[in-house]
Amino acid sequence: MKLKNDDLIFMYKTMVRTRKLDEITIKGLQEGKVLAFYHSSQGSEALAVGAASFLRPDDYLWAHHRGHGIGYILAKGGSGRDFLAEHYGKATGSCLGVSGFHFADPENGALGAAGTIGSVFPMSLGWGLAAKKHGRQQVTIACFGDGGSNRGTLHEAFNLSSVWKLPIVWICDNNGMAQYTPITDAYAKDDIADLATGYDIPAVVVDGMDIIAVHEAVQAAVEKARAGEGPSMIEAKTKRFREHSIGSPDVVHNQPRTDEEIAEMKKLDPIITFKAKLLEQGVLTKADVEKINNDAEAEMAEMDQFCVDSQIPDPSILNTLVYAE
Amino acid sequence: MKEIRFVQAINEALEEELSRDEKVYIIGEDVQAGTFGVSTGLVHKFGPERIMDTPLSETVIAGAAVGSAMTGYRPVAEFMFADFMYVAGDEIFAKAAKWRFIHGGTVELPLVFMASMGGYAKLGAEHSQSPESMFMHTPGLKLVVPSTPYDAKGLMKSAIRDNNPVVYLFHKRLLGLKGEIPEEEYVVPLGQADIKREGTDVTVVATGMMVQFALKVAEELKEKVSVEVIDPRTLEPLDIDTIIESVKKTGRAIVVDEDTKRCGVASEIMAQIMELAFDYLDAPIQRIAAANYPIPGGFMEDYVLPQTKDIKAAIEAIAD
Ligand SMILES: Cc1ncc(C[n+]2csc(CCOP(=O)(O)OP(=O)(O)O)c2C)c(N)n1
Repeated sequence: MKLKNDDLIFMYKTMVRTRKLDEITIKGLQEGKVLAFYHSSQGSEALAVGAASFLRPDDYLWAHHRGHGIGYILAKGGSGRDFLAEHYGKATGSCLGVSGFHFADPENGALGAAGTIGSVFPMSLGWGLAAKKHGRQQVTIACFGDGGSNRGTLHEAFNLSSVWKLPIVWICDNNGMAQYTPITDAYAKDDIADLATGYDIPAVVVDGMDIIAVHEAVQAAVEKARAGEGPSMIEAKTKRFREHSIGSPDVVHNQPRTDEEIAEMKKLDPIITFKAKLLEQGVLTKADVEKINNDAEAEMAEMDQFCVDSQIPDPSILNTLVYAE
Repeated sequence: MKEIRFVQAINEALEEELSRDEKVYIIGEDVQAGTFGVSTGLVHKFGPERIMDTPLSETVIAGAAVGSAMTGYRPVAEFMFADFMYVAGDEIFAKAAKWRFIHGGTVELPLVFMASMGGYAKLGAEHSQSPESMFMHTPGLKLVVPSTPYDAKGLMKSAIRDNNPVVYLFHKRLLGLKGEIPEEEYVVPLGQADIKREGTDVTVVATGMMVQFALKVAEELKEKVSVEVIDPRTLEPLDIDTIIESVKKTGRAIVVDEDTKRCGVASEIMAQIMELAFDYLDAPIQRIAAANYPIPGGFMEDYVLPQTKDIKAAIEAIAD
């Protein structure tokens, strides 16, 4: 698919909204409105939005846990308000306020989210299997981190997706860190993509800070999957701007990451670089940029108010949730 | 005596045992920095070869512990959240628990599986579980659930020295709790209950966070009811004798458990009291435990996990 100007603007807007939603979630955590924890997605917006934009609503999406999926959710057409309300523990949340931070939006193909890292592999395999059985050219986008790739279930799922030629696009957000552990001490090779090629899954490594590079790679894989040509894998090299979990130490093993290191990373901020590109190409004007920013801020303020005003769930719902009729 | 926090008590136990026996080592994700602080700082003294940060691979964390224990090492494998132990189900429930038995006692498995447990932090279904009943159910595993800094330290030392796989669950909401411990070295043996508060009217049996709940309620009710609080401290081995002795004295028993009510730890302890002290009971045994739901996140957690008001109501009702 050739990206039109409107598409580029949608992607830019979605990245900005992702960042603003991230910021308001952090603020909510600090103010005690967000009840559990939050793993900021700052630095990986280009991957999330590049990967999940312009999919079909019925394509399945397993969002990466960072940002609790927000960039992917917004790009796929999901609701930031449902996301935030869930984090505030309100009945208007995407899981009726009983999950705390998981997100589900089956109408947009987001069937659920896990607290256990690495669940993505076997579960997405199931979604991919269903997509193949349905025969409607749906695809499954299955996202995980470099840390998640250390789970053994990756191998079982990669292998079977290849053997069964399932329409799955495996996407790795490789930000080089898993909580406090750097990938150099957790993985024997340089590229996680090599794990896919080992199972005859075509794989590419892309610059995850470049939304266009991500999008093109994912779309190529999506087209192949829709055409029945089986799974692909994309490894995107990204950055994690913030500490693992808001408020946790920002360390590599037990050594703090330095301000210089973080500042260096932030020079690659995918929102800033994409903005510069769009301004240069004349796709956006300075006024457009300002409006997008203001609109996103207004949207977040409105969301926050809505979530604050929402009711907490009625505990009688719990009994209806354990078993289906 | 000195005052110390729960988290520090575990840290001291680990440090002392690492110093005492070079076969002891810690293995797990992010243990050098320490997600909950229990292993924080140890790497400075013992180095990364003994305080081993691993990839996100619970299956091999457990497997490495079991495998190396068979050759005489004494690993302490850390799982961060007890919920993540499910990922290593085969290694924990089938290998660690059974391998001594099925190999006719030819091998030993001196290891500790350590994790945070429990709720009251609104972290949702996959970061809040109290899976004690699964471990208690499984022959071959020992199970430690400390409720005070004193016990946390003394029991960790015994767990490491034990020649069996010991699951050690510390409650994430108890880590800041302060308590007194001796300056000098001590251990708390596995299988010895502790009477946390003496009383004559009602026996309350509880572990972990529930002990602190029970003690709070007992204090609140002290003018009306004399509550005896018994903490088994280890659920396997279970010091049922101390519980039975207390029940014979009070004639009334309440078992409090943060785990799910159905087939939970409380069910087992209740059953043993019925078998051993039925004739001494003046009232049906009460069981306070989590409702039979997954633990929800957000505000709904309060409606599933046991609360002090539930314990209070049960004591008032049974003592009536
Ligand atoms: C099975 C399991 N083990 C450990 C954790 C704790 N944990 C949560 S996120 C995380 C790091 C994940 O790293 P990665 O997959 O690279 O994603 P990132 O957070 O870097 O985006 C860890 C260790 C978990 N949630 N589940």
